[in-house]
Amino acid sequence: MKVDIVNLTKKFGGIIAVDSINLDIKDGEFVAFLGPSGCGKTTTLLMIAGIYKPTDGDILFDGKRVNNFPPKDRDIGMVFQSYALYPHMSVFQNLTYPLLIKKRPREEMKKEAQRVADMMGIGHLLKRRPGQLSGGQQQRVALGRALIKKPRLLLFDEPLSNLDARLRISMRGEIKKLQKDLGITSIYVTHDQIEALTMADRIAVIKDGVLQAYTDPEDLHDRPKTLFIAEFIGNPPMNLFDVEIKSEAGRVYANLGNGARLAIPESRKLKKLVEGKVKMGIRPQDIHAGSEDGISTEIALVEPMGRDDLIVSKVGNAEVHFLVDPIMKLRMGDRIKLRFDMEKSQFFDIKTELSLLWD
Amino acid sequence: MTEKTTGGGGKYDWFWFLLPALILVVIFFFLPIIITFFISGTNMSTATGFQNWKWIGLKNYQRISSHPETLEHLWLTVKYVAFTLVFFNLGMSLVIALLTTHISRGVGFLFRAVWLLPRITPVVVYVMMWRFIAADAPYGILNQIIIKPLGLKTANWLPMAPFLFIVLVNGFIGASFGMILFSSAIESIPKDLMMASLVDGSSYLQRIRYLIIPHLRWPLLFVTTFQTLSLMTSFEQILVLTDGAYNTEVWALWAYHKALSTYSGNLQWGFGTALAAILVTIGIVMAVIYMRYFKFEELVQEPKIETQ
Amino acid sequence: MRFKIFFSRFVPYLLLIVVTLPIIIGYVWILISTFSTRTYGLLPVDKAGRPGGWTLSNWSFLSKPEIWMVTSNTFILASGLTIGVVVVSMMAGYALSRIKFPGRKAFLSLTLILHAFPTVTLLIAIYFVLRWISVIPVLGRGLPIIGGFGYNTLGGVILVSLALQLPLGIWLMKGFFDNVSWDMERAALIDGCSRFRTWREVMVPQIRPGIAALSIFSFIQGWGSFIIPYSYMVNANRATIATYLNNLLSETAPTNYSMVAAVGLFQLLPVLVFYIFTQKYLLSIFAGGVKGAA
Ligand SMILES: Nc1ncnc2c1ncn2[C@@H]1O[C@H](COP(=O)(O)OP(=O)(O)O)[C@@H](O)[C@H]1O
Ligand SMILES: [Mg+2]
Repeated sequence: MKVDIVNLTKKFGGIIAVDSINLDIKDGEFVAFLGPSGCGKTTTLLMIAGIYKPTDGDILFDGKRVNNFPPKDRDIGMVFQSYALYPHMSVFQNLTYPLLIKKRPREEMKKEAQRVADMMGIGHLLKRRPGQLSGGQQQRVALGRALIKKPRLLLFDEPLSNLDARLRISMRGEIKKLQKDLGITSIYVTHDQIEALTMADRIAVIKDGVLQAYTDPEDLHDRPKTLFIAEFIGNPPMNLFDVEIKSEAGRVYANLGNGARLAIPESRKLKKLVEGKVKMGIRPQDIHAGSEDGISTEIALVEPMGRDDLIVSKVGNAEVHFLVDPIMKLRMGDRIKLRFDMEKSQFFDIKTELSLLWD
Repeated sequence: MTEKTTGGGGKYDWFWFLLPALILVVIFFFLPIIITFFISGTNMSTATGFQNWKWIGLKNYQRISSHPETLEHLWLTVKYVAFTLVFFNLGMSLVIALLTTHISRGVGFLFRAVWLLPRITPVVVYVMMWRFIAADAPYGILNQIIIKPLGLKTANWLPMAPFLFIVLVNGFIGASFGMILFSSAIESIPKDLMMASLVDGSSYLQRIRYLIIPHLRWPLLFVTTFQTLSLMTSFEQILVLTDGAYNTEVWALWAYHKALSTYSGNLQWGFGTALAAILVTIGIVMAVIYMRYFKFEELVQEPKIETQ
Repeated sequence: MRFKIFFSRFVPYLLLIVVTLPIIIGYVWILISTFSTRTYGLLPVDKAGRPGGWTLSNWSFLSKPEIWMVTSNTFILASGLTIGVVVVSMMAGYALSRIKFPGRKAFLSLTLILHAFPTVTLLIAIYFVLRWISVIPVLGRGLPIIGGFGYNTLGGVILVSLALQLPLGIWLMKGFFDNVSWDMERAALIDGCSRFRTWREVMVPQIRPGIAALSIFSFIQGWGSFIIPYSYMVNANRATIATYLNNLLSETAPTNYSMVAAVGLFQLLPVLVFYIFTQKYLLSIFAGGVKGAA
């Protein structure tokens, strides 16, 4: 099913929880709503589900305005962070409840329950109560319950955030595969950027109820349109510096202060501003240590992160984070040279916080 | 029932859910309030019947103000409310709350459970116990275990000290209300505050004065206002204990007797409802005041489902 | 120093025992008296006043048909009140807790005002309401078992008791519904339930402790209620156990209190049993701020 969200707005009393969001979701697409907690993701999802009434704007399913449809007429399935299973019913009853309401024959309920339960790997648990299941099993039941009526739209509200890290990773893959196999249009709310980046076809980044960007993961990562996105996306987070842009002998430099400066390549030519103060961003993995030339720095801190060591040091007046191979065995106080891969650098206007490279 | 009306929209679900309660509240709260004030403006009585009564305006209220018994009933009611409130609903309940929270948890809980018994015991059974406590020698418990051993003159104590007994009978029920509120308030005082004052070396009495009582400000105010109102208007226990004999006819019982007591022959509905109307007015005013002052807003959360 | 510790240890217990004594004595007396010819204080004695006199004869009232009539009336009153209060309060409490509708706040404050309002002041006026209901054909006084809903019918007494208990019931149920997960209710709506079905199949099962508490409380109230049947039933001594007992009490001299005590214990026993086994539930009501009976 195709979903269109037009100028969708929600106010609770005085506060604006969702501020005029516009989105289109293609049939079969997997879209993630990504943003920090409290930014309005759940509110948006609940408006799409028909639980909240929009203050303004429209929701269209396959071109049809559904603003005034109650949830039961929207043909959706939803998975909640809290699982929201019915504790007084068995797993079988939980799974088949949507079919019971639709007055489906008992035989069909049994068959479907078995099918969905096997798909979710909970076939042996049908007689239990939700209280007797582990968190991961409960989440599978919740997912099964959402799937059993073959909805045309699946909504997920942070479904994995109550699970432990290992289970989260495996469930991530399962949900993604299931969605692709079934081809159901899905909206997946999360505050975890890794979930969004690994699972979604497109990501809607939301901040304070405002849509910041709506694009595919790669674009989001490589071409952040706002300072917020640059800070929010990527792990470890992007380094941000206050730099001064200066042209000298036909070349453009970013001055880090204390004499440290970096040449800006032709590919990163700024749109508007030619000289003056801007924010420069560069991801830790795009700063390379141990080269022959480059900016010299003294290591202030080493944080082992498993595959890499995260190093903190100072360049100019700013703190720099970058990744090195643990084999280098760098220690606090060591001096090394850093080469900034300026082909990957980002620039933002200090006032508007908009990118100076992309729009 | 709502299945049909909901169909797609179900915009008026809330109405169907509220309807039964609404009907009952209208019939048994609103209508009676109106009736009370209305009949209090008539001369309706068994003499006039339901047909031949006349509208007499405020005459019943004038009669109340000039009635020779009015002051008596009023004074008795004030005394009764004040004594029961001070000695039991506040005094005794505070003492029990302090004592039961001071001793071991289990035993404290047991004593509080015993104090709740009068509240759940059927009223006639409960009053029967008091009647036997007061009964004449050689049967009555009071005579048998206190008066006689002390060599004093035995008696049937109910007619001898009727006021004491109406206070006791109501007080032993009323005390449990404050007891519950006070003891849970005391138990919610942070442990480290209690510890700190122990370390300071303050005595238990000092702790009561400077730590516990200040914590009980709201419950104390709540119990005082709530119980004043219910003492002022309740008469069931007195009705069973003395039926108003021996000068124990409090205002509410007076009204009840005038309007409904089948013994007096001529029921004065107009006059009786006028007596009741005064209590109803006080009740409405005080109930509205509570609602204002006792954190109503905090108790109300907005529904997090807006679908209809 | 020793003395002081001893003092602070035992004085609280001593004080508590002293102030609680009248209650304990009252219940002990009922127990002893029920099985004695008569009692001097707490001492069972025979007709001549000698200690002893244990007997079961006080329970002979159980063979009278009246007692079973009033018991069945009392049971119907208590059950009818309980079912009525619970169902009506669960519906209204749900709407007030969970549904957004115009005037919701006004309804909530009305409930709270009525909860604080002293209902006994309305007894006189309700007498007139019941007389009017009596006039309605069939509903007034032409129903089986409960007689109808008018004056001098068991149904009327049930209805009045039910209505006067509603503000407490609604407020209590609203409080219990407030604590049910919103996501669960949302899930039910998305699964396809109407609001009514969500209420019945998903929400009500979540507040079972609240329902238990309100049921037990209402049953005890109905079982022991006196003033309402006394006021609205003409042959009050034949209405409920409470009015029957009250009649016995006013007719009997202390000499024969043992017989009356047996009827009293008969009425008290189910209450005690409930109280002992369901204290947890009852406390949740008392702690929620029940109105003082006095
Ligand atoms: N039912 C509600 N009533 C009032 N405010 C709400 C309600 N639901 C959400 N909000 C507010 O709206 C904002 C967005 O909330 P939410 O959509 O839950 O954020 P997220 O899911 O992104 O964490 C928050 O400031 C929250 O406090
Ligand atoms: Mg959320």
